[in-house]
Amino acid sequence: MSTSGTSNPEYVNARVRARRAALFSDEEYRKLVRMSPAEIARRMEETEYETEINALGSRHSGVDLIEYALNRNLAKHFDDLLGFSEGQIYDLIARYLRKFDAWNAKTIIRGLYVGTTREEIETDLILAGEFNDRMIQRLLEAQTIEDVVTILQGTIFGAGLGAAYADYEETGLLVPLENAIDRAFYEHLLGDLPRSEPVQLYREFLVAEIDFRNARNALRLARSGADLDPAAYYIDGGELFRPSELNMLVQSPDELVTHLRESKYARDLSAVLDDLETADSLIAFERGLEKALLAYSKRLGNVYPMSVCPVVAYILAKEREVENIRAIARGREAGLSQSEIEEELVIL
Amino acid sequence: MAEDVKPTRKNLMAIEDRIELSERGHDTLEQKRDGLIMEFMDILDQAQDVRSELNSDYETAQRKLNMARAMEGDVAVRGAAAALQEHPEITTQSKNIMGVVVPQIESTKVRKNLSERGYGLLGSSARIDEAADAYEELLETIILAAEVETAMKKMLEEIETTKRRVNALEFKLLPDLYENQDFIEQKLEEQEREEIFRLKKIKGKKEEQEREEREKEAQAQAEREAAVSAD
Repeated sequence: MSTSGTSNPEYVNARVRARRAALFSDEEYRKLVRMSPAEIARRMEETEYETEINALGSRHSGVDLIEYALNRNLAKHFDDLLGFSEGQIYDLIARYLRKFDAWNAKTIIRGLYVGTTREEIETDLILAGEFNDRMIQRLLEAQTIEDVVTILQGTIFGAGLGAAYADYEETGLLVPLENAIDRAFYEHLLGDLPRSEPVQLYREFLVAEIDFRNARNALRLARSGADLDPAAYYIDGGELFRPSELNMLVQSPDELVTHLRESKYARDLSAVLDDLETADSLIAFERGLEKALLAYSKRLGNVYPMSVCPVVAYILAKEREVENIRAIARGREAGLSQSEIEEELVIL
Repeated sequence: MAEDVKPTRKNLMAIEDRIELSERGHDTLEQKRDGLIMEFMDILDQAQDVRSELNSDYETAQRKLNMARAMEGDVAVRGAAAALQEHPEITTQSKNIMGVVVPQIESTKVRKNLSERGYGLLGSSARIDEAADAYEELLETIILAAEVETAMKKMLEEIETTKRRVNALEFKLLPDLYENQDFIEQKLEEQEREEIFRLKKIKGKKEEQEREEREKEAQAQAEREAAVSAD
């Protein structure tokens, strides 16, 4: 529950192993792909999503019910993780789960921006981060974006948001605020990480996450052809690019791909990079990155079974399960074929 | 119809003027109709291309949106859409194609770059970018389709009107005028013949009268001469 005191990785890992075993298998996905959204919801009632499906069944229906149940279940599991972690392992897990704090902060800001009701904003939150209920209530009670920025001042997002608020006031666009929130999350991933061998592997995983984020953003900028400053979208902490070379690489997508081929991720990404050169879309590349990161986290978890690495591998696997089920349900709703849906799934 | 017209020379001249004007109008309208049809065929080709482009753009956009909703979640896609501040604007002007006023639709702020869409780049994905791209392209095609199809509709209405005018002239007005012209000409000829007959009659009567007077005078003369000889 807190960063102080002794760490309890053995206990956390034992709990995580049990939860990991409950994740959907390939066979389960194959069954779901053949079902209609209503059948998927019914099937979920027979799994560990039962509580969420029953709790939300009166408010939502169809694929929305599935999506909200998935989000709530994800939040419950990650909240549990933080609940039974102590000491250093709590800190290591929390710094990764703050991505949901970033998600919630952005959702509340967007809601206020377009005048969405408090109830609607609350429905879209995923309470899997470090923000406690009181903090979330305070954020939901905020009447203006400025109030949200003020409330977040004590958090990792405070400094960046404070600086970005002036830009927001000047342009009226949410981009500076959203980028400030995401940047704060990524830049605090690596900040003051303790030095030990398992944590070093965790660091490598986080560096890979930042590198992949920088790579996909660089490619998006390169493909968009917009005259944007790549440095403004660069996240510190990665090893793949230096800000100075990013400017040059964004001008030439081919050189960017060559740079990725010569990086330490070449082996993991070679197949998607081959496709990328001929494809119009970046989606397959992003999927490849997600798969590589998932495989990387799983490998780390096997190397250091009593560290934070299996927990991170579980977090990624759980997120992936939620994304896969959602993709199947939405894909079926949109009338996509089984093969099209299967292509979108990331399964290890 | 023809019976309603007074068979006067003045009316005949007026009808002849109207026939001349109507024939000229008929030729002009026929040329206009043919010109409009040619313009319409060009616009039709364009409209067919735009319509098929619209269908394929819609399918692509819908597919990309579905993919983004599937992989990123509906909440993320709605959130990204909500972040948009500057909505597209359209302004309409008009242009003239062979006398038909058709709209010319100009759009601004439809295509946006990554920094103008409102959502942060660092926390979003290419799926959302590509869905937004596809919808921007769809919106541009919709605007073009609106312009072309409205022009096509207006051209069709104008062709229909012109065709009705040409047909009215060709099959109604001109035949009526020709009929009136024939009617008046016939009537005038008839009147002329009657007049000649009447004049001949009068002349005959006059000659008869003169003959009778001459006979009476001759008889009187003979009586006078007989009286003188008797004396």
